[in-house]
Amino acid sequence: MRVLEPWVADPLTEFLRESGARLALVMTSSGQVIAQDGFTRSLDVMSAAALGAGILATTQELATILDAPRGFGAIVHQGERQGVWLAGFDTPRGRWIGLVVFGHESSVGLVRLFFARFAQQVAAAAPVVTPVREVLAEGFERELDDSLRALFGTR
Amino acid sequence: MSIAGWQDALREVTGVAGVRGALIISAEDGLVIAETAMDDLATADVAALSAALVSRARRCTAALHATPPESVHLVGERGAVLAVAGPAPLWLVAVARDDAELGRLRLVLRDAAGALH
Repeated sequence: MRVLEPWVADPLTEFLRESGARLALVMTSSGQVIAQDGFTRSLDVMSAAALGAGILATTQELATILDAPRGFGAIVHQGERQGVWLAGFDTPRGRWIGLVVFGHESSVGLVRLFFARFAQQVAAAAPVVTPVREVLAEGFERELDDSLRALFGTR
Repeated sequence: MSIAGWQDALREVTGVAGVRGALIISAEDGLVIAETAMDDLATADVAALSAALVSRARRCTAALHATPPESVHLVGERGAVLAVAGPAPLWLVAVARDDAELGRLRLVLRDAAGALH
């Protein structure tokens, strides 16, 4: 498993264990990868993230046309040997997307059930974003001097 | 069988004392096909977990070279889940309280699942 945000690891591990999914990819709505498990090549991850985000964006537009502004809850592609679950969920860091590949050892129902829990856990585990400290003009020069002194040891 | 017929079968099951809900589920994808249940029963969750239970029971019997299960009964301290196979991939599932008449429920479930064909 590879995670960009460490606090996503535990909920994702639990989701994979409970749902029996084969692969999982968590990304932002723009396709930036947050976490992944099961992919062996980085190229596959990037392609899947881009395609997944594109599919959800497309269905969102379709939902708008169909007068369903909140969009569709999830998209499921059911294949012969494996299925794909694709769904968006809200986090304090914005809207994220989960792409899950599951086989016969799991089911759409199980993935749906544990994905909902995963989304809740991620939302609860997200650390509070600390606002960027404003640099005041009056303190800027002094802080710059302090930083240079710390870096180069000059007076 | 029509959807109206499925609802009749479900009503027959929920007519047994102590039954909190009855569902027809697809064991392949763990989704609800039809349901009659109390409001507080998370039927979608029951369907997903019951399908997982059925799937594991199938794999277990397959590993034992036995015939596939026709019914799965899970009895806990505070209640029970009973599932009976209908026409594939459907299963009829009942969620019952611990004071339910499980013997009668089994018979009703078997008849109702047979009527799903």
